Amino acid sequence: MQHGFYFDHKRCVKCHACEIACKTWNEVEIGPRWREVVKIESGTFPNVKSMNVSMACMHCGDAPCRNACPVSAITKRADDGLVVVDQNTCIGCGFCSWACPFNAPQLSAQAGKMEKCNFCQTPGKERPLDMPRACEEICPTGAIKSGSMADLSNQGRERAAERLSGADMRGFPGIVVGAQEQFGGD
Amino acid sequence: MNVMDRNLGERLAEIKGAKMIKSFCYTCPWQCPTEVFVRDDKIVYQKGNPEAPNNIGSRCAKGMASWYVSKDPDRLKYPMLRTNAKGEPGQFKRISWDEAFEFIAKKLKEIADHWGPESVALTCHHDPNTVFYHHLLKDLYGSPNMYAHTSGCEQDRRSACLDLFGHVFPMHDFANSKYVMLWGMNNLGANQGLWESRALMEAKAKGCRLVVIDPNFTETAQKADEWVPIQPGTDGALALAMCKTIIDEKLYDEAFVSSHCEGFTGFQDHLSEKGYTPEWAEDICGIDAERIKRLAREFATTKPSMSAIFKGSGYYTNGHDAGRACYILDAICGEVDKPGNINLKDWAPLGAPVNIPETAIKQPEKEPLHVAMGYPLAPDLPNSRLPDAVINGHPYPIKAWFVHASNPVMSDPNRERVQEMFKNLELAVSLELYMSETSLECDIVLPETSFHEQAEIRQGMWLGPEVILCQPVVEPVGEAKPAYEIVKGIAQKMGWGHHFPYEKWEDWGEVAMKDIPMTLGELKEKGFWAGEVRYNRVPEGLPTASGKIEIYSKNYENAGLNPYPEYTDRTVIPDDEYPLQVTHSKLSMHCNIVTQNNPYLMEVCGENWVEINSIDAAKYGIRDGERCIIESPKDNIEILAKVVEGLVPGCISIRHGHGFGHWAMGSTAKGKGAHSNNLMDTHTNPVTGANCYNECKVRIRQAI
Repeated sequence: MQHGFYFDHKRCVKCHACEIACKTWNEVEIGPRWREVVKIESGTFPNVKSMNVSMACMHCGDAPCRNACPVSAITKRADDGLVVVDQNTCIGCGFCSWACPFNAPQLSAQAGKMEKCNFCQTPGKERPLDMPRACEEICPTGAIKSGSMADLSNQGRERAAERLSGADMRGFPGIVVGAQEQFGGD
Repeated sequence: MNVMDRNLGERLAEIKGAKMIKSFCYTCPWQCPTEVFVRDDKIVYQKGNPEAPNNIGSRCAKGMASWYVSKDPDRLKYPMLRTNAKGEPGQFKRISWDEAFEFIAKKLKEIADHWGPESVALTCHHDPNTVFYHHLLKDLYGSPNMYAHTSGCEQDRRSACLDLFGHVFPMHDFANSKYVMLWGMNNLGANQGLWESRALMEAKAKGCRLVVIDPNFTETAQKADEWVPIQPGTDGALALAMCKTIIDEKLYDEAFVSSHCEGFTGFQDHLSEKGYTPEWAEDICGIDAERIKRLAREFATTKPSMSAIFKGSGYYTNGHDAGRACYILDAICGEVDKPGNINLKDWAPLGAPVNIPETAIKQPEKEPLHVAMGYPLAPDLPNSRLPDAVINGHPYPIKAWFVHASNPVMSDPNRERVQEMFKNLELAVSLELYMSETSLECDIVLPETSFHEQAEIRQGMWLGPEVILCQPVVEPVGEAKPAYEIVKGIAQKMGWGHHFPYEKWEDWGEVAMKDIPMTLGELKEKGFWAGEVRYNRVPEGLPTASGKIEIYSKNYENAGLNPYPEYTDRTVIPDDEYPLQVTHSKLSMHCNIVTQNNPYLMEVCGENWVEINSIDAAKYGIRDGERCIIESPKDNIEILAKVVEGLVPGCISIRHGHGFGHWAMGSTAKGKGAHSNNLMDTHTNPVTGANCYNECKVRIRQAI
């Protein structure tokens, strides 16, 4: 069953706790950023709007990074749909980061390998899937949720989630941006 | 298993092969209870304590990254004594703790004999265990001058709350609110009580309207239903005009004001006499009179509601009355201490960690410094006036300064004047984690343990009464010692060692906990004690002179001031030569001056910047992402510019202005960003003694 994140931009206050929680749990060095919060602004004074989005690997259905990898280091796990990279096979060529539309794959200067959000499945520190991810656990406002897409669909914002995770939809992202449909329209 | 599951921590500890210990974080003063995961004397993960109401399992970026402090190689490891002349950047040699205690005790005795104990002052920002220094320097030694850092923080708010409600630090019951009006308060963007942030977002999801009045489109304004871009330093005018609308249109709570407010009728006359109408406020605030009226009506008729301030309405010489006016909106609408209002929280009956007998307590002969300085209503030392006492002996000489976990050389305005003080001190002691910019000016620098290496029991920053516990989870860095051991060491040299009879922290912990309905053992297991959340304490009587909410302030009357809030212009107004007004706002991923040596936080945000509206940017040739020069009449800095839309034209917003541009502290912090406080001259709020960081005009140009 495909797993992914649910993100509610209305709740996110861009505190960056998710980034640091991700780094600490997965013991990621300074440099690669598996998760990053970005702010998008629009409008002109005094009619200004902004939106925060916490971005990480989307664990795509038809993952462009996997398709781009020349050594097949990236796989999509059959049982949970997570897109993971085998560090022993990766040659650090960076094709995946060119292919990814979200800039999720991050090249580690230290190891010379690609790394990215693995849904807290770092070897030796795997969080069982019935637990919250580190980013989710730490979020002060409850903006991030993780789980199977089916479960996420049932938690709030059901209609949008249902639509995005429709079975016939190829390449559906493993994220549901819990938002009104048009940015900023209140 | 969800994030609030109490067993989650145990399972995570198993995965990490770590031991989980309940503690709290003291990176910022909100002090979230935590679960800390330790393996081989190293913190491998941290999360929030899911049972604690303060944060419900969550953390902020600063707290999550704080494990680094416990292993930072740049930390102070040994007591250090200055070897060169005062006034020069300090050179230091390592000494033993015994030598350090002897040095300080000898100086303290000399100063008491020569100048009197009142000439010793202590200030702190982070006040971990500062109470121990108070027992030594206040109770036994006899100095009345034990202060914190409030004049660089929410001094005007604190003063307003004390004068109106007799309460030092009301909380915000966002969860039950239907209308929240925040004045210059960026509670979602700066240091934050995480339970408040979550409650505000959840209230909004349930339909609570959020109005943010601020020249800056802050992180909080971004979440608002309505952003009111007010001219800087004019909050008082807007709040008074809203009060007048509410009163004129009889939208106030008549029963509440007649029973529970002092001076309502006089206030009504005062507003009329002064002509504080929406039409009068329109040009001052840059907000249409009709909009002022609409906001006033909405606020008065949507209940429960809350009008609240923190720092932004202060930082000006008129901030004291602005603060009072913002809270009077709550008072006249009867919206105080009910569910959904500002909450006059109860404090836990936490005791002192040591019992100094009455007979041993030395009564000071002189008034506390703030009173002698002419600021009797200041809730904390007017920091910006300390140089008068140290350099000029006015109102009386200060000869020794203990600077505890704070860095006034960077945090106070007019850096040069702060630095000048140290030449005139006979004893300057820095109690610190790092060789900070202030440490460099001191005579002796003592390495304190971080909160990961020491115990602390203190009041929790939550809606109800609460006690929280910090436990030592790793070994101290170098020879660093916690405050309770440093104080004991000095006290022994002064002949007062018997007043500090503890051998281990649990000994004083038991003493402090004696009136709390929980044992120290239980507290270690659970991490906190929380009492009942209460509301509606106004009818019970408040600790003000009248026992009521004082719209007419007896404190102000006694100090020879107008008991009703007035509006006066701020002091520094931009002109042709310096056409831009300085404003400030903080960042959420850094705490003041203390987190810039943390590479994990510096990766997220590695320097500070100035924001400028695109209209002004075009006028002055400033380009987004490039460097610019900000010049005030006093100094200039080079800093990164960000061109934004969310800022009132005519203003700049320096983000985290005094937290960056370190020239000491550590290898990661040093030289990153710009330190902006020397742009400002010394301006002190005439009533509260607050530092007026925003009393500053500048011009700006692109850096070449």
